[in-house]
Amino acid sequence: MPIEVAYEAKIERLSILDQNGKLDEKLAKDTLTDKQVVQLYEHFSTCRHYDEVAFKLQRSGRMGTYPQNMGQEAAGAVALAAQKQDWMIPCYRENAALFLHGLPKENILLHWMGDERGNEIPDDVNMLPISIPIGTHMLHAAGIAWAMKLRGEKGVAFTFFGDGATSEGDFHEAMNFAGALNVPVVFICQNNGWAISTARSKQTASETFAQKALAYGIKTMQVDGNDIFAVYKAARDARKRAVKEHKPFFIETLTYRLGDHTTADDARRYRDADELESWKKKDPLIRMRKYLESKDLWNQSKQKKLEAKAKEDVSAIVKRAEGIEKPTIDDIFDYTFKELPIETRRQRDTLHTHSLGQFPEQETLQQTAAPAHA
Amino acid sequence: MAHATSSDPNVFILPDLGEGVHEAELIKWRVSVGDNVQEHDILAEMETDKALVEVPSPRDGVIAILHGSEGEICNVGEPLVTYNSDGSTSVASTPQPKSETAPSSSTSSNSESEDAGTVVGTMSGSLGAVSGQDGKALATPAVRRLARDLGVNIDSIQGSGIAGRVTERDVRAAADIKSAPPPATRRTPPPAPRPSQSSAQTHLAEQTVAEEVSSAALATRLAATGSPAPITSGAKRIPFRGTRRIIANRLRESMDTAVHFTVMDEAEVSALDRLRKQSAAASGEKISYLPFVVSALCRAMRQFPALNATVDDEREEIVQHPAVHVGIATDTEHGLSVPVVPNADALGVLEIGRHIAELARMTRDRSIPRDRLMGSTITISNVGSYAGRFATPVINYPEVAILAVGRVREGVVADNGAIRIGKLLPLSLACDHRVVDGAEGARCLAHIIELLGNPQSLMTPARG
Repeated sequence: MPIEVAYEAKIERLSILDQNGKLDEKLAKDTLTDKQVVQLYEHFSTCRHYDEVAFKLQRSGRMGTYPQNMGQEAAGAVALAAQKQDWMIPCYRENAALFLHGLPKENILLHWMGDERGNEIPDDVNMLPISIPIGTHMLHAAGIAWAMKLRGEKGVAFTFFGDGATSEGDFHEAMNFAGALNVPVVFICQNNGWAISTARSKQTASETFAQKALAYGIKTMQVDGNDIFAVYKAARDARKRAVKEHKPFFIETLTYRLGDHTTADDARRYRDADELESWKKKDPLIRMRKYLESKDLWNQSKQKKLEAKAKEDVSAIVKRAEGIEKPTIDDIFDYTFKELPIETRRQRDTLHTHSLGQFPEQETLQQTAAPAHA
Repeated sequence: MAHATSSDPNVFILPDLGEGVHEAELIKWRVSVGDNVQEHDILAEMETDKALVEVPSPRDGVIAILHGSEGEICNVGEPLVTYNSDGSTSVASTPQPKSETAPSSSTSSNSESEDAGTVVGTMSGSLGAVSGQDGKALATPAVRRLARDLGVNIDSIQGSGIAGRVTERDVRAAADIKSAPPPATRRTPPPAPRPSQSSAQTHLAEQTVAEEVSSAALATRLAATGSPAPITSGAKRIPFRGTRRIIANRLRESMDTAVHFTVMDEAEVSALDRLRKQSAAASGEKISYLPFVVSALCRAMRQFPALNATVDDEREEIVQHPAVHVGIATDTEHGLSVPVVPNADALGVLEIGRHIAELARMTRDRSIPRDRLMGSTITISNVGSYAGRFATPVINYPEVAILAVGRVREGVVADNGAIRIGKLLPLSLACDHRVVDGAEGARCLAHIIELLGNPQSLMTPARG
């Protein structure tokens, strides 16, 4: 018997806007318009400032732990490729995409301040709350995509996760599920080289993260994750295909977090200073600005204005988050069930009387107890 | 809110800087009292168990108080910074207001912190338990804490960790070498021992702390040597040699010869505190209480020459000295040391301060010449930089007097029938009763207190 090649594959890597702001015109054709690039640049710059302020809120005791997004903003270009009916199923390092898809900016701060209302997604936004446990939410994405397929909706589920998440069991279940059921989900693996302090080389023996998709029959590619053109084009094409053929897609973005894993981390302890410096040169914001300036779409005065506006906007966002009214005790009941079970309803109704289980007819008790909750 | 807030809106409580962080070492202040800061400006650099972090200001305001000095461990939940109450609303665009409590010291380097009342700002900063910035060992606060608890100077340890970082194992190894004999006195154990410490280690930590405090204070820790040895299993036996033995012999000689008595009182140093801050602002040099105390002591010696003396027991003579050479009893990593400021009575306060700083530097890097460690005619012990108010210091024999300076504290002062809060400096003057009468010692202390209450006169040299 001859030996045959049973399977052969290659992984393509797409790069359109290089770190010097030089654009590959041919590949960039029919991707982002000038207006969109300016829009993204302004948005990402605001997100960068937001990120810095959020970090300081934690350090001055005004917020809990916060994972900085700095350096990975270009993932936000995915949201430009998404349609309103599409779903975002995030982890926690793609604020820029979430805001573009309609999440109020104060929600992320509220979440990290420990206020559950930060996870309350507006009714007209298709999005799940950010997911802190690593690698659990891709299953939800596959499930949502399956639901859309079953309902005949023309939407796609975009889910974000890091390189470390691909070592978790749920990741493989989600991938298998998506591949076997052929559902419209786009997996976006933000490969920033570090799973907290675990280097990519210790994380996996796989040459790329993208090739993990091949095992599940999912088409895949690598893109320069700091290149908005490449990210956008890959996401847009993946979406097109997902809607048309109900096929999942896997994008590995090569990027780097310029900050710590979270405010409880100090990346200087495990990352090489030279590595950080080399990635600073690849900062998505720098190359966008270079590109825009080379096309006369940007200048110093616009930059100044943008920075001033970002400061003002973020300050207002912080005010909104910190100024939110205290939650009431009744909120406990309002966000879990669409319709309250009878026992839970009784608990709610008798909450302001002296002891749970008593009936709301006991109005005198209700009155005397009220100040305690005021 | 993510953390405890003070009931006083002008007090910024040190927050949890990471996740489950309970304390942090204050590495560097980035602001000074009187500075006008804006929201998000960096106030301080601090090191937690996990990271070196910058602590930003949560609001606009003018800094009124910096709580804590560089090198100190600050607890989460305790005040870090107090803002001026007039800056409680946004002051971003108002012109730089001056602080009410102290003149701005923005001309001076931020690297030196405002000491909150330690008598020996410079000495304790350089020679005390907390090391200076130079040659500082790399280590996490947990390891630093362990070193402190075990009485090991962390900067003297060769670290075996990443980039020379001193590890827990290094500290424990160093502690095994150093390990102290059981002390005569026991003090309160250090707060909240690390969970990783076994009870035996905690026990050792208690002993070492007790030993440090008593030797630093030149206290009478040898008083109990005659008591029966405690029955302990696994006790460690350490040769009683070297510096420790020399110190012991000197103290023994003093206690066997001089007849000690101590008079104690507190000086009100509110005016002095203002003056030293003013002169620090004017000269750009940080100035602690110590040079003022030295100056006052020198002046007092003009009136009480009996105290500026040594006893020649062999020839049965009391030698009164025309000049005042002040020894500064100092606890160093190498043991007790008494560097000398010669002719201190011919120096102004600022000069004395510079001399002390120089002595501190030389003692730290062990470059101090032998002759700067001898020839004192009277000694000051800076017990106050550690803890405690009063002490019964042991005379630096053959001298006849020693002044122990306690920690400056805020206290209630009764002033012409009214009550106010003032800065109080506890002083304990021990004399050799063979040479100095009780009344004379008391009068001398009273005079020193009076001088410290009128500090303007101390700026110039006592002699000439």
